[in-house]
Amino acid sequence: MMDILDPTTEAATQTIAYSPRPTALDGKRVALIQNTKYNSDRLLAKIGDILKAEYGVAEWRMYHKHNASVPAHAEIIEEVKKSADVMVAGIGD
Amino acid sequence: MAATLTSKRFSAQDEAEAIEMAFDKGWSDGLPVIPPTEARVRAMLDAARLGPGQQVGFVAHRAVSITAEKVAINAVMAGCRPEYMPVVVAAVEGIADPRWSYHGPGTSTGGAGVLMIVNGPVARDLDINAGDNLFGPGWRANLTIGRAVRLVMRNVCGSLPGLLDRGTLGHPGKLSYVIAENEVDSPWTPLHVERGFRPEQSAVTVIASDAPHQFYNQLSPTAEGVLTTCADDMRISGTVMGQSTYVVVLAGEHMQTIARDGWDKKRIRQFLFEKTHNTYAHLKRTQRMSGDIAADDEQKTRPLVASPDDILVVAAGGRAGAFSCYIPGWGSARSSQAVSKEVKR
Repeated sequence: MMDILDPTTEAATQTIAYSPRPTALDGKRVALIQNTKYNSDRLLAKIGDILKAEYGVAEWRMYHKHNASVPAHAEIIEEVKKSADVMVAGIGD
Repeated sequence: MAATLTSKRFSAQDEAEAIEMAFDKGWSDGLPVIPPTEARVRAMLDAARLGPGQQVGFVAHRAVSITAEKVAINAVMAGCRPEYMPVVVAAVEGIADPRWSYHGPGTSTGGAGVLMIVNGPVARDLDINAGDNLFGPGWRANLTIGRAVRLVMRNVCGSLPGLLDRGTLGHPGKLSYVIAENEVDSPWTPLHVERGFRPEQSAVTVIASDAPHQFYNQLSPTAEGVLTTCADDMRISGTVMGQSTYVVVLAGEHMQTIARDGWDKKRIRQFLFEKTHNTYAHLKRTQRMSGDIAADDEQKTRPLVASPDDILVVAAGGRAGAFSCYIPGWGSARSSQAVSKEVKR
């Protein structure tokens, strides 16, 4: 018999609270996070318009990452937390 | 008393069952691994004089702390000798550095490997290949050090192919991509010295990179001739539209030819930078740049990289053969930068 050690990350115990998903989009404010790739802004604007026209979303606002290869920066996260109920992140490739 | 190893333990009947267990649990890169027993992991930690709980790096994008214990386990699995551990540790420090910016090269459809260039005495001491068959098989240090780093990315940082590693094609360098600079024969300043280290220090430079592109020039006896071929090949490579870095690896014959003309690395970089511009018209005609061709687009040019300093020149490769190569970096300069870390022994 032999023992071997686990090479993977064992997450330390912590609780992550997820925001509850809204059951409907009526009157919600939507943040669109675009990754700056070609046409991603157009794709997301189209999605925003559909959400308004067909799902009763109150408004949408678009946020631009610094570039496609980095996570959304802190200012975006802070602003979205204050001013949006729902977020759509999308890429254009 | 030595600090306790805290990783979860699994029991196996024997080595063969432990190897199969690693496959079953998804810990392997597709090749058999050395079973990470406590004795083997401790030898790895001792060689780098690290306690198991010491943090080697923190990948903010993944909120993952990479401990020495996990690096050691993965280094054992990769087949490293304990004395390789300080190089693995330095490379892991490099990819966890915010300038390397893990999220992009660790995940991107662009499929970057981690090119690791080892400089200084450690490369000779560990027999890290800088010569014949540079990127190929035959050298334990080259194949296991890079493998260890990739296993850390997989097992500790979650870069699992098809999940958080979404490389469309990837490339063989994603298994291991380690070379040393041939400082013994090179007429030039070593890479780590150019990047701020002393010659007697050892360092590893990590670069998110595409696969090597070989070029051939058996005709020219001059620096300009050889590098003209190189530039012509390089000019249309990588993403073309604003690359982070290029590594140019000059092997024996080309190295001698270029050095004979008195060119140093700075002059090589400057020449390659100037000769690899593309016109806007060409980029638009070939659908790399959007928009219609404007009146001055045949004259307007765009460089491959932001500055000549983004072309890293390395002397390495076999003595015979009129071949060298260039390696496009991954992404743009804003996405990931080459990072050099000292190897502490």
